[in-house]
Amino acid sequence: MTLTTPAGAQTEAPDFRDPQVRLRNLFDAGTLRLLAAADTSGVLAGRGEIDGTPVIAYCTDATKMGGAMGVEGCRHIVDAIDAAVRERVPVVGLWHCGGARLNEGVTALDAVGQVFAAMVRASGRVPQISVVLGPAAGGAAYGPALTDIVIMSDQGRIFVTGPEVVRSVTGEQVDMERLGGPEPHGRRSGVVHVTTKDEAGALEKARQVAALLGRQGRISPADAAQTTDLGALLPEQTNRAYDVKPLIKGLLDEPGVELHAKWAPNVVTTLGRFAGRTVGVIANNPMRLGGCLDASSAEKAARFVRMCDSLGVPLIVLVDVPGYLPGLGQEWDGVVRRGAKLLHAFAEAVVPRVTLVTRKAFGGAYIAMNSRSLGATAVFAWPNVEIAVMGAPAAVNILHRKTLAATPAAERDAKRAELIEEQIRVAGGVNRALEIGVVDEVVEPSDTRRRIAEALAGAPAARGAHGNIPL
Amino acid sequence: MADEIRAEMVANVWKIVKAVGDEVEDGDTLVILESMKMEIPVITESDGVIAKIAVNEGDVVQEGDLIAVIE
Repeated sequence: MTLTTPAGAQTEAPDFRDPQVRLRNLFDAGTLRLLAAADTSGVLAGRGEIDGTPVIAYCTDATKMGGAMGVEGCRHIVDAIDAAVRERVPVVGLWHCGGARLNEGVTALDAVGQVFAAMVRASGRVPQISVVLGPAAGGAAYGPALTDIVIMSDQGRIFVTGPEVVRSVTGEQVDMERLGGPEPHGRRSGVVHVTTKDEAGALEKARQVAALLGRQGRISPADAAQTTDLGALLPEQTNRAYDVKPLIKGLLDEPGVELHAKWAPNVVTTLGRFAGRTVGVIANNPMRLGGCLDASSAEKAARFVRMCDSLGVPLIVLVDVPGYLPGLGQEWDGVVRRGAKLLHAFAEAVVPRVTLVTRKAFGGAYIAMNSRSLGATAVFAWPNVEIAVMGAPAAVNILHRKTLAATPAAERDAKRAELIEEQIRVAGGVNRALEIGVVDEVVEPSDTRRRIAEALAGAPAARGAHGNIPL
Repeated sequence: MADEIRAEMVANVWKIVKAVGDEVEDGDTLVILESMKMEIPVITESDGVIAKIAVNEGDVVQEGDLIAVIE
């Protein structure tokens, strides 16, 4: 092991691209120890602490050949990942890298492939976090993409082929930012989980995530006192959309880290602490697409569920879902195939996972949101929720079409209202859900944190024995 | 810089909340749509002044249709 402080004092302001500077900025002050002495390989790796938690990190050296990866540099990355797996600590990669070293030819490609293989070996065994601080092109694009969480600063760019190649091959005029900056990857492609306005912000997010995943803590129901009136965060009108994020914030001990905030925003996925322990929260967001599940959001949630399961992070699922988004676009987008991922992810998950229905859960989306049938540890519901195949008015229009048609027009609305009330009572009310056992208990909003904490604490700790393929 | 706000899904325009010339900030509701039997606010993610409202109450919007322009 090498000490980081060189014998001679530095005289100039350090280059911000210097990997040693970047690693120091990532770790707690004074904790960086290099895994191997600095060399010309284009990669520097070290161990250190983040909020006192041991973490291993590697950083491509953008001051040498644009950070391009060669055999030696790739070897450092593989060693760092293997060490993290041996020591069971998170591994963070800082990326600013133009791809494979051209002058090393196919041996460099082979080396980059070995980095990918190491990442896949480590997948689901230790948390892998990538921070993209500059261009990460070609092989360097797939490095971050194979890891659990990708954070991108304002200067980060990820693409397979750069603007020059795009122009020469297809004639398309496009710059690096539009091709692979925070906007396209944060909002459109889903490659990036978190975007930040600068490098310091990106490293801070990486620290937060590494601490959450590296030191998960234990649930302590005694710490589940509730200060926020969660029920007051829902609108009084049941058909009015609302933002679910304040509800998530009120449920967690402190604000968590939202992943994929702008991509598929109709589902919210957040890592945070709950009663002292790291949990993953998955919530429908009625503010976006009415909270419907669709192809992208199901895939986003599925990947999050599988990541949490493989890393032993319990799940809290907040349900307020009107159904799957209907339409041609969705069917052609693979809502069946991609929606199936969410069913698969929940059904195979062995971590404790508690569902809370806050307002409604309808149809196939009800099943997909960690229902009793998929093996939820507990399913709670707030009073007056509706759980049904579809909303009562729609069901009445189908089930009682003939009755309604035979009713004189003047009385039809009254008849429909009566039938809807009856439909809710016999088919969609929470009492029926309790009777058949798909809801375990009705909890008051004011008692929600305590009951969820007890349910999570009472379940045996477990961890899925699988990797985290980037679904 | 103009920011175009487009419909995320097929919906009826239920209510226009803001008018051209109104100053808005991130999170403000511009229009309320009705779809999936829900009232769904269309919010702005940027601060600015409304330069254009491209829909009327009662319109049906398709996914991707322009709803408003913020400058």
